[in-house]
Amino acid sequence: MVADNVSFTRALVATNFKATVALRGAFVIQVVFMALNNFTFFIFWWALMQHVTTLRGWQLGDIQMLFGMVAAAFGLTVTVAGGVRHLGRFIEDGDLDTLLTQPKPVLVNALGLRSQPSGFGDLVSGLIFIVWSGQISWSRLPIVVVVIAASAVIFVACGTVFFSLAFWLGRVETVATQLWELLVTFSLYPEPLFGGTLRLLLFTVLPAGFVGYLPVRILRAPSLANVTILMFVATGYLCLAVLIFNRGLRRYGSGSRFTTFG
Amino acid sequence: MSAGTIAKYAAFSRISATQAGRERNELYGRMAFFAVILGVFSSLWRAVAEAGMPVAADPKSLVWYLAATEWILLSAPPIHLEIQEAIRRGDVVYRLGHPASYVLAEFATGFGLLAVRAPFLGLTAFLCAFAFTEWTPPLSALLIVVPFGFVASTVITALYLGIGLLAFWLQDVAPVYWVWQKLMFVLGGLMLPLELYPAFIQRAAAFTPFPSLLAAPASVVLGTNAVTPGALARNLVIWSGVTAIAVSWMFRRAVSTVTINGG
Repeated sequence: MVADNVSFTRALVATNFKATVALRGAFVIQVVFMALNNFTFFIFWWALMQHVTTLRGWQLGDIQMLFGMVAAAFGLTVTVAGGVRHLGRFIEDGDLDTLLTQPKPVLVNALGLRSQPSGFGDLVSGLIFIVWSGQISWSRLPIVVVVIAASAVIFVACGTVFFSLAFWLGRVETVATQLWELLVTFSLYPEPLFGGTLRLLLFTVLPAGFVGYLPVRILRAPSLANVTILMFVATGYLCLAVLIFNRGLRRYGSGSRFTTFG
Repeated sequence: MSAGTIAKYAAFSRISATQAGRERNELYGRMAFFAVILGVFSSLWRAVAEAGMPVAADPKSLVWYLAATEWILLSAPPIHLEIQEAIRRGDVVYRLGHPASYVLAEFATGFGLLAVRAPFLGLTAFLCAFAFTEWTPPLSALLIVVPFGFVASTVITALYLGIGLLAFWLQDVAPVYWVWQKLMFVLGGLMLPLELYPAFIQRAAAFTPFPSLLAAPASVVLGTNAVTPGALARNLVIWSGVTAIAVSWMFRRAVSTVTINGG
């Protein structure tokens, strides 16, 4: 069953990739511009850290690693599971109808429906940021791959939960998108900036801590305990997302409705 | 422009303002996002102050600076998305035959949205900045920031219109928007006053509209007297004119080359 799903996911990703690169010009533009976008944003940190050497113990290299980590994980998410950001609309507009009739898991199918070419730009620029940070040696490459994958799984799981709210609340596109953007925003700023209740939220409801902070801690000083925690958390969020989506699917109403154009 | 023409486009603004007033979800989302960003940056500036950053302005006024720049930027509705969709779907063709300029109608629609968003977001900016700093800039500074900031938001709306029109040639304007947005971040001094950037970035910024749209109006709360209201007004008038000419030229070029298929 699991092997079957993995094989289906692989085929879905391959098909999406072919479709994405088919329009070569558009693909290249999106990749290049997204990478440019990330590098331009980082000028802020670069300029700020010219004036102060450390921010509560974080140096420019640490911020580069955090930024690279989150960009790479986000890029992987929207490349492989680009449909996650459209789940709310699929549910609200009844677009899951066609997927329900297919012999494959609806969630996997829905997540793989949209691959964002710009995700490659995020992924590539993220990896450049990680290398540029100067804190990673080649021997740590397997750990880099593992933490990026785990972080991407948490992104997908959170997106699935946020956008699945549409099963119960109807049109939640805006709210879910805002939650998603908050997750990305918080994960891009150094961990020591946040304390108290907010810190608790960032390791639970809006797990920026597991998307960015813990992976960076692992990359800086790998430890089996932290890797285990990250794997455990990623699996937990994924199971929760699948559970919520499947519960929601039982409430799903078909998209067979009248639409008028005028 | 006659009174009748003004009334016609004012009606577009009124309709979009009424719609925006009814569909407030996006606005509430933006307000929440705004509050979070200010919270994050007030933490950041506190950390920067602890690190002993040599900034003329204190961390409190930097939070207000960010509140002002974000208010200006977030108030401008992203009308390029609607315009892009209209062009991609071909809906724009039906609008070309209407007895109203497509560009002016879209601008008026955007202005109506701006008129609803700006007060709500302005209030959010004020309350959050006050909550995070327990301080307010002098009233005289706020009285300069508000009108000039609103005009700057209007010019940004017009620039979004121009980005949207690029869909006639590019189909997908998202990449252009991303880079434009990040240039706004850096050259406009969205998060960090321009004085803190290296000299070459400051020199490059001087040739763009970005500092006049964000850093200049917002820097009034820093109390550095870097720009006078007269100079600010002059710069905004110049960039409004340049934007209007550029958008008008782009639309004429687009319409002269557009191919209409089907019926």
